[in-house]
Amino acid sequence: MAVPAPAGRGAVRADLEAVFRSAYPRVVAVAARVLGSRDEAEDVAQEVFLTFGRSAVPAAEAPGWLSVAAAHTALNHLRTGRRRAWREEAAGGGAAVSPDVADTVVTRDERRRVRAALARLPRRQAVALVLRHSGLSYAEVAAALDLSPGSVGTTVRRAESSLRKELNRHAPSD
Amino acid sequence: MRHPTDGTLRRLLDEPSGVADTDREHVAGCPACRSGLAAARRDASLSRAALDVDATVDVDAGWSRLSRSVAADSRRGRAATAAPRWRAALRRPAVAAVAVVAVLGAASAAAAADWLQIYRTERIAPVTLSQADLIALPDLSAYGPVEVTEPRVRAVADAAAAQKATGLAVPRVRDLPRGVTGEPAFQVGDRVTAEFTFSAAQAARTAAAAGRTLPAPPPGLDGSTFRLTAGPGLAAVWREARGVPALIVARGVAPTAYSEGIPFRTAADYLLSLPGLPAAVAAQLRGFTGDGTTLPLPVNSQYLTSATADVGGRPATVLKSRDGLVAGVVWVDDGVVTAVAGSLGPDEVLSVARGLGER
Repeated sequence: MAVPAPAGRGAVRADLEAVFRSAYPRVVAVAARVLGSRDEAEDVAQEVFLTFGRSAVPAAEAPGWLSVAAAHTALNHLRTGRRRAWREEAAGGGAAVSPDVADTVVTRDERRRVRAALARLPRRQAVALVLRHSGLSYAEVAAALDLSPGSVGTTVRRAESSLRKELNRHAPSD
Repeated sequence: MRHPTDGTLRRLLDEPSGVADTDREHVAGCPACRSGLAAARRDASLSRAALDVDATVDVDAGWSRLSRSVAADSRRGRAATAAPRWRAALRRPAVAAVAVVAVLGAASAAAAADWLQIYRTERIAPVTLSQADLIALPDLSAYGPVEVTEPRVRAVADAAAAQKATGLAVPRVRDLPRGVTGEPAFQVGDRVTAEFTFSAAQAARTAAAAGRTLPAPPPGLDGSTFRLTAGPGLAAVWREARGVPALIVARGVAPTAYSEGIPFRTAADYLLSLPGLPAAVAAQLRGFTGDGTTLPLPVNSQYLTSATADVGGRPATVLKSRDGLVAGVVWVDDGVVTAVAGSLGPDEVLSVARGLGER
């Protein structure tokens, strides 16, 4: 039987620590741009590195793979996190929603709008946008998303334009 | 000349050197493009501000946390996941031997030197093995050389990539069970090939070491090679927050066996009569070696119980761990084996299995 399973559970790749130490800040930064919270981003980064540790991703491809995985995982969390937040608010526990309790209400609302706008973007646009603003070059974003470098600019431009429209549309109308 | 695209204007902001000289010169002298560039700059800086966040991290603290999770995950993985346990079990040479012996069940007209398809998986049946049976099972290499290509399993970006890599339709889960959320990670594995060459001399030595005499091999069996192929395959894995797989949906091309052309039914009967194979196991295998279409699924009775069910009109085997932590269901449809397993109940895995669609 050849039911494929996660590679080598228990056998963690030997270069995990080296890759972790060089890539962790970048991976957290990518996830934080999506989630707007460093604490949640660190949770996502941990999850991504756990998966990476059991994978057979070639070392040379690790930085790109990790960045894309961080963006996807964080975008997934955004969705489930929003669901959780709605449930908590519905249950009257709204105060527990944001871990950044020091933030002002205005900032929190603004952040929520950014997150909501990101969640509504087409996935590829959202990932390209976040990777580009996390400092990946056009060539790196292109390689990570299997795009031509030429179309990275187009994808990022579209994402930024949509983000602006989403933020304007949902801005408080005061 | 034509105006450069919005994408080119956007890149001009970040990587001017990546933009062709002709485009740069055009933009410098074109009011429409300069206005487009200004709009791109406004949107880019708005996005930068919107996405800005303080993300300074303590790498040492992060590494200690990951190290703890890796250790805990390995322990949990050994204790509570179905598919990896099957995989671990299947890696055991003794169990692989049972599978190989069992798939040699179909009789076929011999055609010398040609690889004949002698077996194609059309259904799966559990073979119950006690822990004692498992320990007693002989290693196939006791009967001759075995060469197995190591399956190359790797992560791919998404369902489309998994489909492209394997040529298989990726199952789509319509309704995730309670507690399973998010998007799955996809893994693919290449086709695996195993070749076993029966050696009468090696088998005789093994029998002698056990104080037994090797029954005389049927003519033509000594030195003849069997080839078993399986895969490629893919898996969609949903993980819980700490990386434990909550749900795995896997699909692969079911095993097929080929032979250089010897009387297979005879070979199978002979292999099942070899000293070392527990009688209870041999009897179960003999029960369905005749049809050449049933793949035995070794089930360790100490940990698992099996039952039968129906998925889309196909007979399916449902496995449940005795501790109630994990369950799985596996079935074959048109030469493709699909499995659904997870830290779920049997009803939940069956419900996922019956609700699977194609992407």
